[in-house]
Amino acid sequence: RISSDGKPAKFQPPPKPVIIDKQKQREERRFLSPEFIPPRGRTDPLKFYIERKDMIQRRKVINIPEFYVGSILAVTTADPYANDKTNRFVGICIQRGGKGLGATFVLRNVIEDQGVEVCYELYSPRIQAIEVLKLEKRLDDNLMYLRDALPEYSTFDMNMKPVSRLDHEEIPVNKLQVRMKPKPWSKRWERPKYNIKGIKFELPEKKMKEAQKWSQPWLEFDMLREYDTSKIEDKIWKEVSEELKK
Amino acid sequence: MMPIWTKSGKKHAVTLLKVQDCHVLRYVSKEESGGKTSKLLVGGKNVSPFYKSESAMEIFKEAGVPRKQKVTTFNVTDDAIIKPGTPLYAAHFRPGQFVDVTAKTIGKGFQGVMKRWGFKGQPASHGQTKTHRRPGAISTNKAAKVYRGKKMPGKMGNIYRTTFGLKVWRINTKHDIIYVNGSVPGHTNCLVKVKDSKLPTYKDYNKNPPFPTFFADGDEKLPEDLYDEEIFQFMDPSVTYA
Repeated sequence: RISSDGKPAKFQPPPKPVIIDKQKQREERRFLSPEFIPPRGRTDPLKFYIERKDMIQRRKVINIPEFYVGSILAVTTADPYANDKTNRFVGICIQRGGKGLGATFVLRNVIEDQGVEVCYELYSPRIQAIEVLKLEKRLDDNLMYLRDALPEYSTFDMNMKPVSRLDHEEIPVNKLQVRMKPKPWSKRWERPKYNIKGIKFELPEKKMKEAQKWSQPWLEFDMLREYDTSKIEDKIWKEVSEELKK
Repeated sequence: MMPIWTKSGKKHAVTLLKVQDCHVLRYVSKEESGGKTSKLLVGGKNVSPFYKSESAMEIFKEAGVPRKQKVTTFNVTDDAIIKPGTPLYAAHFRPGQFVDVTAKTIGKGFQGVMKRWGFKGQPASHGQTKTHRRPGAISTNKAAKVYRGKKMPGKMGNIYRTTFGLKVWRINTKHDIIYVNGSVPGHTNCLVKVKDSKLPTYKDYNKNPPFPTFFADGDEKLPEDLYDEEIFQFMDPSVTYA
C-alpha cells in the first residue's frame, strides 16, 4: 500500500489487546450483608455463631440478594387476607436496621398520592421472594428525609421491570440531590448530626450557619467510639461464603 | 435474645440459656436437711480453685469436680436422686416443657421512689417548690407511725427473682443451649437457675421428660437440634397460607 506521498506507509502495530480478567474482578468485590456483623458489646460470640448458622440456613432456602439503602426492591410475602394469598410491594429501601435474625429493611413508595412505608424482616418465614429491581447506592445511609421531600422522589411504578446490569460492574452511586417540601420537616435535616449529603438545601445561609451550632466536631476523634470491623468482617465473610457454597 | 417464628408466621422473642459444666455435687437426705423432700446440690460454671479455702473446696473434692461458681439446691423426690458427680446437660429439658427461671436482677444501686416503686411524683411546674420526684405523704394522722415495709427509696435490684411458666422452644444438644420464651431476670451472661414449672396450668405439659436426667453416655443418641412442633425450622420452605 502506497500513501499519497508515494512512500510506503509507516508500519502501525495493532493495538494491544486489553485482557479483562472477569474472575479476578468478581472476587475483588465482596459484599457481606450488614446484619452479619455483630454489634459491640459483652455478649458471648457463641450466640452470634448460632444465629449466623440459622441465617445461613434460611439463605439456602430463599435467595436474599445484595442490596443497599437507595435500591428499589420488590418483596412478595404470604398474606392470609389477600385473594391469592400473596402480597407484592415495590419500593425504595430507606433504612436497613437490626442485627442477626431480627434484621429489617423499610421500603417506601407513594401509592395514589399516599406515602406508604413497610418494614419487612429479612429472615421472616412469610417472605417468599425478594427481587432487586434496581441496584444502586445513594449518598446517605438513611433516606428518612424522603418523607419530607417532594413526592416525586418516592414514587415508583408497581409494575417496574428489573433494570439489567452486568455482574462485574461497580455499584452505581446515585448523586441525586433531592428537593424538599417547605419547612416544617419531621426532623431538622439541615443539622450536622444527620450528616445528609443528598438534599439540595434551599434555606437561607443564615439558617444553615445556625444549624452548624449543633455540630460536634470532636465526635470523629473519639477513640472510645471506634469499632474496627475489618478483621471481623473478613472472618465472617469467609465463614458465610464457605457455608453457602455447600 | 433472638426472634423465633411459628409455622403460622407469628414472631416470638426467645432468650438463650447455656448449660455450662453443671454437675451434681451432693445428695442431702430428707432427715438431714429437715425439709419435706430430699435435696440435691448442683454446681454451675467452672472457675479457678485457687481463691477459696480448703474447707470450702471439700464439697467439690468429694464429688470429684472442679470448683463451681454457684451452688444451688433442688428439692427432689426419692426416685429422682442422682449420684454426685454426674454431669447435667441441656437435654434434661425437652421442647414443649414449661420452666421457671430464677436469677439475680440487674443492680440499679440506690434509687428514688419513682423508679423503684413507680410512684407518680409531683408536677414539673405550677408552683411546686423543690418537689418533683418525692414520695409525698408517708402515713396518715390516725396511725401516728410509719408502717413496716413502707415503700421508700433504697437499693434496687441485685435480688433473686423468678419468671414463671416460660415455654422451652428449642434445645441445642451440641452446645447445650435452651431456647426459653420471653425474657429472663438478670444481665447478659449471668448465672441462672432453671426448674420445671410449679404453675398448676402446666402440670400436664411436662410429660415423659428424661427421668431422672439425660445421661450422655447412655444409649439415646439425640439429633443436634430438638425443635418444638410449632416452630418454623429454617430448613423448611417459606410459610404459605392455604
